[in-house]
Amino acid sequence: MSATHVADPHHHHAVADKTQLAPEKSHLGLTRPDRHSGIIDWLTTVDHKKIGIMYGAAAMFFFLVGGIEALLIRAQLATSENHLITAELYNQLFTMHGTTMIFLGVMPLSAAFFNFLVPLQIGARDVAFPRLNTFSLWTFVAGATVLNVSWFFQFAHTVGWFGDSLTIMGADQPLSQIAPAGGWFGYAPLTGREYTGIGTDFWIVGLQILGIASLAASFNFIVTILNMRAPGMTMMRLPVFTWMTLITSFLIIFAFPAITIALAELMFDRLFGTNFFRIENGGQPILWQHLFWVFGHPEVYILVLPAMGIVSEILPTFSKKPLFGYPIIVFSGAVIGFLGFAVWSHHMFTTGLGKIATAAFSLLTMAIAVPTGVKIFNWMGSLWGGRIKFTVPMVFALGFIWMFMMGGFTGIMHSSAPADAQQQDSYFVVAHFHYVLLGGVLLGLLAGLYFWVPKIFGRMPNQKLGYLTAVLVIAGFNITFFPMHYLGLTGMPRRTHTYLGDMGWDLWNLVATIGAFILGIGVFLCFVNLAWTAVKGPKSPADPWDGRTLEWSTPTPVPAYNFAATPIVQARDCYWVHKHGDKKMDYQPDDGHGIHMPSQSWWPLLCGFGFALFGTSMAFYAAGVPFAGYCVITGLGLVVVGIYFWALEGPGGYHLEPPHDGEAAKKPTDSPVATAAH
Amino acid sequence: MASQTANPPLDDKLLEEIHADSHTNTGIENKKLIMWLFLASDCMFFGTLISTHLIYRKLYPFGHPQEGAVDITGTFDIELTSFSTFILLMSSFLMALAVSAMHKGAIESFRRYTFGVILFGLIFLGGQVYEFQHFFHGQGWYEWTATNAAGEEVSGTEANEGVFHDVADTAAAKANFLHEHHGYELTEFKELKKVPGLSLQNSVFGSTFYVMTGTHGTHVAIGVLWLFSMLIYSYSGRLTPRNAIDVEIAGLYWHFVDIVWIVIFTVVYLVEYIEL
Amino acid sequence: MSHATTWKEAAILENARYHTFFNLAMALAVLTGIEIVIIFLPWAASIVMSVLIVLSVIKFFAVILWFMHLIYDKQLLFWLFMAGMILATGTMIALLALFSIDDVDLADIASITSYASNLA
Ligand code: HEM
Ligand SMILES: [Cu+2]
Repeated sequence: MSATHVADPHHHHAVADKTQLAPEKSHLGLTRPDRHSGIIDWLTTVDHKKIGIMYGAAAMFFFLVGGIEALLIRAQLATSENHLITAELYNQLFTMHGTTMIFLGVMPLSAAFFNFLVPLQIGARDVAFPRLNTFSLWTFVAGATVLNVSWFFQFAHTVGWFGDSLTIMGADQPLSQIAPAGGWFGYAPLTGREYTGIGTDFWIVGLQILGIASLAASFNFIVTILNMRAPGMTMMRLPVFTWMTLITSFLIIFAFPAITIALAELMFDRLFGTNFFRIENGGQPILWQHLFWVFGHPEVYILVLPAMGIVSEILPTFSKKPLFGYPIIVFSGAVIGFLGFAVWSHHMFTTGLGKIATAAFSLLTMAIAVPTGVKIFNWMGSLWGGRIKFTVPMVFALGFIWMFMMGGFTGIMHSSAPADAQQQDSYFVVAHFHYVLLGGVLLGLLAGLYFWVPKIFGRMPNQKLGYLTAVLVIAGFNITFFPMHYLGLTGMPRRTHTYLGDMGWDLWNLVATIGAFILGIGVFLCFVNLAWTAVKGPKSPADPWDGRTLEWSTPTPVPAYNFAATPIVQARDCYWVHKHGDKKMDYQPDDGHGIHMPSQSWWPLLCGFGFALFGTSMAFYAAGVPFAGYCVITGLGLVVVGIYFWALEGPGGYHLEPPHDGEAAKKPTDSPVATAAH
Repeated sequence: MASQTANPPLDDKLLEEIHADSHTNTGIENKKLIMWLFLASDCMFFGTLISTHLIYRKLYPFGHPQEGAVDITGTFDIELTSFSTFILLMSSFLMALAVSAMHKGAIESFRRYTFGVILFGLIFLGGQVYEFQHFFHGQGWYEWTATNAAGEEVSGTEANEGVFHDVADTAAAKANFLHEHHGYELTEFKELKKVPGLSLQNSVFGSTFYVMTGTHGTHVAIGVLWLFSMLIYSYSGRLTPRNAIDVEIAGLYWHFVDIVWIVIFTVVYLVEYIEL
Repeated sequence: MSHATTWKEAAILENARYHTFFNLAMALAVLTGIEIVIIFLPWAASIVMSVLIVLSVIKFFAVILWFMHLIYDKQLLFWLFMAGMILATGTMIALLALFSIDDVDLADIASITSYASNLA
């Protein structure tokens, strides 16, 4: 904060392009990586937009990985008594599929939107702690690497690249099972040393590192949203997406600690022989379930609230109406967030909670459906009487409402404990959470991609392909998952490697598999479309959808400093009101100092590298591989060095001057009434 | 105060600039806000650890499924822990003064108070290391009689594992005794009570106790390292009154570690002494 | 937050705080002393327990309000922190309650298992 004055006491002549400025030295005497373009720029960037793009790219990559895992699962289940893949590999596939989709697909794609959009939506030039933001990105990449590198070792082992070397090296644990296989919620005692190999260690450490990334990012976003809003951007004028980011961030900072501690306890059980969950010494596996779901249920809202925020931006835009019941949507988001901490045991009805607890959690779960329903009604209210345009993002957003609602209905069915006793651990639950997660969250996120990609890349995605994708995804999704309701109710258990032919499940499993491949093609086409857009798509205007919120008022592509002059916000949906209403946006006067930009840094990247080394070696250390312990310490050492250098280099900063081609440069580029306003 | 003279004089313009720089929507500096958010989140970290401990305490009145497996009050050393608690409380007091000093722009006073905090922090950590070591090795209470060269006989009791290491090995006990009490020869001794060692592995209580207090100890150690770095940094001349906020957030962290201990001291140590 | 505009004012403000901090430190020491003493008094367990809880809550709030400046700072900070505190305490209470149901004896399950594994 104080950098504005410290870094630049004798204000030198400012330019618009950082690569033209003289290099600057940090307090450590090292040259800051500020003046580059290309790869170094991307590796050390502190620009929330670039960070957002990298989060998005990583998320899409992992969606593809998780998608391939899913297709393999479906291929195995296509017919009864199939032996396409081994039971062990099957376990690894569904474990990694779930873990990947949740932590490496949905969460980072939401993070991509947080990063790209939040500062733009609140009229800020960056997040509150730019280097911390970079740290979150690379720590996330490290965690994702640790989780997935297990596949690499698994593969190498299976095809015999290492021969028996891993065992010969002195590992005291059998190393045949290297990729995680304990399910995404890793129930004890299956995760004990006696039952699973180092895959579980990869899983534990990978999730720990991802947790650090999510926590750091969430602290950063809460501070950004509370503290960095443009003048006039009061809390009740915040775009709903930003509101949902805020609530999600709070959920993360309160929910992740529970799993962090649970994972740490599990790690101690495996590494140092403690008794937290080891039943033979008095540990209680049920405690793991509780701690996991204390995190796990808020986690499902961490996944869905950002998508709800996205949909709340898209529906009014394409109905040409303000969002119906804005305060109620915000309030029910907050209520969902709060109640989300009080329903975790609905995942454990069948464990015998006792009558009172069962009743209480059942009622609270039913209660949480109320604010969820309220939101749906408000979205319908936003559509009602609007001039609806069925653009690609709108089609996806409408798909979200419908599919999510179906998932909500089955959720309410689960909330009744006696009914849930029948459904628990059957394909019915698989249908439920895919309707909320895929039909809900993923459709919402895809809607967001089609909506904001013109702003992100300055290019328009192919609309025809977009509609085709929407049809393929929504149809494929329903063909895959709707039959699962039926499969589940007729008794097909989830997480089953294969099934007998006389159970009556063959037909619907085959249908589901066919649907899955249609869905897979749809998602793949979507990503192809976006990749094509990024490089080849036709140029997009700055405000292609006649948007309502501040991000549309910036030029496209968005300059590094976002806003040449800080906007003064006069209303909710301020850009819409500015264009079509009576309250014009104003801009803060230029103080003649140029725009202060934060310096880039290598150190967050070093921390990420340290975490990756730490995590991978930790798994081998757990297996008893010699020298792995030294690698663990080296990894941690790198993190510490990174943090120290980061603290000591000083925040730095430099000044940019936006191009002075008249007043127009500062004003929204294509607002029809902007010129008339002044 | 004489100390104030060592503090460099300050310009009031600086104070104005500091206030202007820290302007935000909420009126709370970014760094302070993020620290409080971290602490709010840290409540959940410790909440989970303490929950784990208490759940198992409730489930296993003996710290273990097996009756009589852990002698908890026998293991604890409440005098030492009370002393550590007191030290940590006082370190919080010094920390508050160190922050206060920075707000006055009194770098020299800041250094002295911070040094005190670090020292107290180290004493606390030392106490914890000592405590862990003793808990791990267990304790024995012994009754002994000894004679000196003049033939006088003395007797007493001792809570010392080291001397009477092995009740069967009289020769070793005699040698150890002579080493500790010069000129006295041990004639007779017997074990009154023995508390077995507490390890991470040998009971559920050991697991939850060490991991919880160990996590707290790690927090203290990080705090000591943080303050120590800040103290060293202050000699580089770069730590100015502008950095009052940096000291303040380190202080917040330190106080938080203190309040966590207030809770742990009560729900983990003191309640064990209540006779039901 | 101190709104001193001169260093002199800041010094006056902070010096006044010195006395508050000192008194508080003494009070904390005394309360801790009381806590240590009462556990050895022959009072009913429930009374000792309640006194302990009340005293540590007082100590807890004393530190966050004065040492951690919440009383001088914006209220928002207090509520942000309380959100974490309340969720943590609520979760802890709920978990403890969940583990005290009497129709399932969890401890028994564990001891049976360890008994069985000892036999094997
Ligand atoms: C109306 C709102 C909702 C209700 C009432 C509800 C209720 C439930 C219940 C009771 C279960 C446990 C079923 C069982 O294991 O037997 C469950 C599972 C699940 N729910 Fe929901 N849910 C709702 C919304 C959501 C949302 C929004 C998401 C995520 C975006 C979600 C994701 C999940 C997941 C992933 C599981 C399965 C966890 C597992 O066992 O692997 N749910 N839901
Ligand atoms: Cu749930």
